[in-house]
Amino acid sequence: MLKVLLLGAGTMGSVHARAYKSLGNVELIGIVDRQEAKAGKLSANTSAKVFTSYEEAVAKLNAIDVIDICLPTHLHKEYVMKSIGIARNIICEKPLGLNVTEAGDMIAACEKNNVRLFVGHVVRFFPEYKRIQSLLKKGSIGTPAVVRTTRGGAFPRAWKNWYGDFEKSGGLILDLLIHDFDFLRACFGNVERVYAKKLNREDAVGENIDYALVTIRFHSGVIAHAEGTWAHQGFSYGIEIAGTKGIIDYNSAKNAPLKHRSKGKKMDGAAVEVPESPLASSPYRDELKHFIDCIVNGKDPVVTAYDALHAIEIAMAALTSCETGQPVTLSTGELTRGNEI
Amino acid sequence: MKIGIISFAHGHAYSYANIIRKYKGLELAGVFDEDESRGRAVAAHYHTAFYTKLHHLLAADVDTVIVTSENSKHAQHVMAAAKAKKNILCEKPIATTAEDAKNMIACCEANGVLLQVAFPVRYSTPIKRAREIVQKGGLGKILAVKGTNRGTNPGGWFLNKALSGGGAVMDHTVHVVDLLRWFMDAEVKKVYAEIDHLIADEKIDDCGIVTMDLDNGVFATLDCSWSRNNHYPTWGDVTLEVVGTEGTLGVNAFDQKIDVYSDTEGASWKYWGDDMNEKMILDFVDAIKKGRQPFVTGDDGLKALEVALSAYRSSESGQTVLNS
Ligand SMILES: NC(=O)c1ccc[n+]([C@@H]2O[C@H](COP(=O)([O-])OP(=O)(O)OC[C@H]3O[C@@H](n4cnc5c(N)ncnc54)[C@H](O)[C@@H]3O)[C@@H](O)[C@H]2O)c1
Repeated sequence: MLKVLLLGAGTMGSVHARAYKSLGNVELIGIVDRQEAKAGKLSANTSAKVFTSYEEAVAKLNAIDVIDICLPTHLHKEYVMKSIGIARNIICEKPLGLNVTEAGDMIAACEKNNVRLFVGHVVRFFPEYKRIQSLLKKGSIGTPAVVRTTRGGAFPRAWKNWYGDFEKSGGLILDLLIHDFDFLRACFGNVERVYAKKLNREDAVGENIDYALVTIRFHSGVIAHAEGTWAHQGFSYGIEIAGTKGIIDYNSAKNAPLKHRSKGKKMDGAAVEVPESPLASSPYRDELKHFIDCIVNGKDPVVTAYDALHAIEIAMAALTSCETGQPVTLSTGELTRGNEI
Repeated sequence: MKIGIISFAHGHAYSYANIIRKYKGLELAGVFDEDESRGRAVAAHYHTAFYTKLHHLLAADVDTVIVTSENSKHAQHVMAAAKAKKNILCEKPIATTAEDAKNMIACCEANGVLLQVAFPVRYSTPIKRAREIVQKGGLGKILAVKGTNRGTNPGGWFLNKALSGGGAVMDHTVHVVDLLRWFMDAEVKKVYAEIDHLIADEKIDDCGIVTMDLDNGVFATLDCSWSRNNHYPTWGDVTLEVVGTEGTLGVNAFDQKIDVYSDTEGASWKYWGDDMNEKMILDFVDAIKKGRQPFVTGDDGLKALEVALSAYRSSESGQTVLNS
């Protein structure tokens, strides 16, 4: 039984807690959240103790195998650093850090102290994306040429609107598009340069929306276009890959197997449609199951902390491009070390 | 109205000829084509005269011409027609260089003839409706636009740069740029483009993502790639996703379709929406009759061409370039 301490009982903390409850070889021993009630709710039907601070938790618990960090992004580095020396394994939600330096420091500190660091790039565990990867490997569409991705929905609502504070979340490009940056890198290799546009701060913050369009050129030649939105209604994501011999196209908005419409309670009686794509095991569960398996059996994860760092590198290049109005070429220095791992 | 067609090099000539044939007041009065066997065949098919020399067609009883020759020949054909005092509908792109386009516009002005550039997408009913919503302020202040105008590699002279002026970027940038200008009454200020030859056997640009800054503060991207393969259910698309402070709008000019899965023809999308080419031809004829400005002018054609040329310059320099 691996003993897990969960930090953060918000949206992601809840998803992780649910997954742990369903895994046989894991015991959730503690849940930390400043908001005690939230942690309390998640601890139902578990033996997990509830804490309102990390310090309190590590003082009262012993033999923690895994610390799982589901805190807002600006706290990731602080809590990864604190967890070193307490647990031998750390799972951290994406994005690993707010910038390349933060992520690099976290990786270096973990390596130095023999701590394993896993990052929740969950898109790698979505079956539709896994299927796309295998179709590409099989050569179903020949050599990939032009790729288009889309992801987003409404502006995320969370604790103290921390997503709206771009100093804390990195904004849409770091928080949301990081998923596509990582997946595209997994499919098409290293990035040569990035060009990006996003809304002005006044427009984005003032209207509580955000929107970005990013063009990525890979060393392989592939040209990708990524749309990230917090300006639309209803979350959806999609990817289209056009190659020399065909096209792969997926969009969660078009391919929702289940649509539940309930009569609205509002005056206008408008129906709210909630699309679902139910799976026996959620991608989040698959991801955590895989990380636990890597810990127990000493295996390498399909997505490494270096992959997480490279995705941040792409996001940072996109943010720089937004500022300068020019393309940003990625340096292929020390940072590409991860590819050899 | 007696209409002559100058060259059937561009496939759109056939749709225009079919539309002309449909209307009593319109007559396909003659065809000139450098490709004599093609010219003779279409003239026979449409029961009209074939001329082996352009000046013979222009000297014949024709008051209007449609220029559907290879892109780089538009300039010579349009200017010859203008000098013969014919009103002109010119296929897009207006020309392959800005200089040619400017000369064409000046020549038509000097000769007092009407010059319209064929941007039929402005006549698409869903697109017109989308513009209406945008212009009425239905989205608040417009902030960003994501456009696509993808297609199937057209082959033939389109792959010969001397005739086409370029591949996918030359072929497919102008429609969406024209829509951006028309939707927002704004001009493109800066252009960045990733362009490459990644799909076709022939060496020509067939993939492109163009990013534009407009002078109203909006940014926009366009995928102009010839990326639709043989088994794709349709030839391509024209789509816009518009993001504003008060909402978003997505429009797909060809989404009025029926999905067909045929054992003999494979899978295909059959379009049933309004015919934008027909609306364009009728409006062009109307402009001539009323002696009014055409809905799409030579200058609109030039402005759109300039963005395509800027995209190539950006790709060559690897930098964002000023659009001019
Ligand atoms: N993989 C994915 O698909 C995905 C989806 C959403 C969010 N995320 C990532 O997960 C992380 C968390 O996001 P979220 O949406 O769950 O946020 P959230 O606001 O819903 O939850 C954060 C929680 O942390 C608690 N908290 C804040 N500071 C604390 C502290 N110092 N000690 C203890 N508790 C504290 C808050 O009370 C809140 O309950 C972010 O990094 C985000 O980018 C990943």
